[in-house]
Amino acid sequence: MKKLTLISLVFSLFLFVKPERNMAAENLQAMIDSMKEGAVLRLENKTYEGNIVINKSMTIMGSSNTVIKGDGTGNVISIKAPKVKLSRLTVTHSSMDRNSAEEYAGIKIYTNNNVVEDVLIRHSFHGIYLSQAHYNIIRNNNIKGMGKGEIAAQGNGLHIYYANDNLLEHNTIDGTRDGMFFDYANNNKSYENNISNTRYGLHYMYSDENIFKKNTFTMNTGGAAIMNSNHLKLEDNQFIVNYGNQSFGLMLLQANDNYIAGNTFYMNQRGLYIDQATRNTIKNNHIVQNQIGIELWASSNDQTFTLNHISENTIPAVTLGGTGEHNSWSKHGKGNDWGRAFPLTDLNQDGIGDFPVTYRSSLYQLIEDQELTYLFLKSPAISIYEKINATLKDEDTMFKDSHPLTAAKGKPHTILFFVLGVLVVLILLKGRQRLCITFGRNGRKI
Amino acid sequence: MHYIWKEWKENIRGKGLWLSLSIIVLLSISILFRSTNLSFDKGFYILLINLFDTLIYFIPILCLFIGAFSIFQEKEQKTLIMLLTKKDNYSSFLARKSLGLYTVVLVPILTWFFIYLLLLKFNFQLDIKSYLIFMIAAICIALVFLQMGTAIGSISRSRMQILGITIFVWFYFFFLHDFILLSFLPDVQYENVKFFSAVYFLNPLQSVRMFLETGMGVYSFGHMSRLLQAFMWTKPVFFLLGNLIFWLTVSFSTAIVFNRKEGYE
Repeated sequence: MKKLTLISLVFSLFLFVKPERNMAAENLQAMIDSMKEGAVLRLENKTYEGNIVINKSMTIMGSSNTVIKGDGTGNVISIKAPKVKLSRLTVTHSSMDRNSAEEYAGIKIYTNNNVVEDVLIRHSFHGIYLSQAHYNIIRNNNIKGMGKGEIAAQGNGLHIYYANDNLLEHNTIDGTRDGMFFDYANNNKSYENNISNTRYGLHYMYSDENIFKKNTFTMNTGGAAIMNSNHLKLEDNQFIVNYGNQSFGLMLLQANDNYIAGNTFYMNQRGLYIDQATRNTIKNNHIVQNQIGIELWASSNDQTFTLNHISENTIPAVTLGGTGEHNSWSKHGKGNDWGRAFPLTDLNQDGIGDFPVTYRSSLYQLIEDQELTYLFLKSPAISIYEKINATLKDEDTMFKDSHPLTAAKGKPHTILFFVLGVLVVLILLKGRQRLCITFGRNGRKI
Repeated sequence: MHYIWKEWKENIRGKGLWLSLSIIVLLSISILFRSTNLSFDKGFYILLINLFDTLIYFIPILCLFIGAFSIFQEKEQKTLIMLLTKKDNYSSFLARKSLGLYTVVLVPILTWFFIYLLLLKFNFQLDIKSYLIFMIAAICIALVFLQMGTAIGSISRSRMQILGITIFVWFYFFFLHDFILLSFLPDVQYENVKFFSAVYFLNPLQSVRMFLETGMGVYSFGHMSRLLQAFMWTKPVFFLLGNLIFWLTVSFSTAIVFNRKEGYE
């Protein structure tokens, strides 16, 4: 009888305790541990409990609804062996602790030659963290943070730390602190990533010779902040609507010998912000409809601006804190296209204007002295302010392009202006009387 | 209700409302065509900002004209005298007239914006909250300038006066207000920045723009300096509400105090 009672008690314990959750965690780690080197582990459409450590080369493939959920105390997935491949997973709940010695991530990679692709990362401090990890491929991942309101409480989408020769492509990052943060990371390549609603879409610190192509930065506080980094190539990227009191499309701060070509800077507070930077080449970019096209601080020397299309900005370019040395607005006899704001003649039809474009402004002093000036840059009053000050005060030359390009043909506003023109002409032809009849008098003639 | 119906009948017979609406429709469609190459997920916000930046040139002046001529028409046709003799005093007349104007101007505009939203759906990923904020911004601009228009109509004796005052008011808010503030900008310090901010946001164009851009999450106020924090001493929505209440009250009071019952041609 005693034995029977004891057995039933043990069974009842199994009934009341729900061990599935913990066992699932052990299961996944146990499953990984039980696999052979180079094996393929296919996960089902269910939630597996983390955290897990992968310390052998293998492939883990999920399905559309495979979730690996961390316990909130560390990295959800730690990759500590080379040649690991992760794909089609959702990874959530890393530790968000900012006081620990280690910065945690959804996926933390410590080794080389790994592939992480088609992974969704949510509720994690950093998204994917490469720590002294080289030759990895991070592709097609989607990382979502807590949004712009939470800058300090969260980490970066991709954090590349002392990691070289990695390929980062087709990732989508939204609402993290920085989209991609490179710290002492060289020779990495980033292609076609899409980053929005972060503090800095791209943040380089002490990272050299990286290539960055065809990425899109939208609605970040700052598009890309290149600090203390040299010999980078930024080509064909789009910096769109990075717009706020401190915002910029691309900032070069103590960054030298960088090649910036073919990029689009559209509707940013400042398109390019250049401070304490030298020998950068800015070529063939479209810098359009920004409040300030190029903000160049005096400490920046030897910049070359050539073949850029700079138009429809409230202020095309402004030089602050004095004039830097050897900043050149043309190269090999080819300057920049400054749009319709600077009409040019080209009598010999060689595509180069017959006289230099010089932009003088008195606004720079106000921008230097008073940060609230930025709040007025969208106001039509700015143009009046400039024109009145042109006659009253001394203006300084902001730039002189000796070989400006003549404006490209084809104007997108033609139809709009045509319609408006017809309307205005009609009203003028019919006279003031008609205007009054139109808005009053029930449409009847007097 | 009678006033709304009367206003509606007068306006659909006139050309002013239709001209205004057709300008808004033309502009919004032209901006839609220009924006077709924008990205699917973020292009919506860029389009709305561009649309607002364009409409802001037209809505104020059109609303000023509609409001002013609507009141002036009552003077010209002597209906104002009839209404006032019958039962109304001027403030009650103006209140009803304003309500009628709001309804008649806003209903077609809002209807168009709902249709426009359907067109946008084919090109962009919609964000309904942002679109509502955009519509509220457009409504606020229309309300403020319609009410100013009624004040202009009330105090004017002739059409020439209406044209002159309307163009001046438009010019003031577009250029002069900001220009005056720009002249005072070098003297702005932490001590007086709140006052400066109050005057800055008295311009309906600035308070509406700030409300729209921050409401849509496009404009970010991160890492503000002490000065800027003091400048933004309350939320943009409260700046807008304050502006709305201030200008509606001022316009209404001006219209009542300085109204001239007779108009001549």
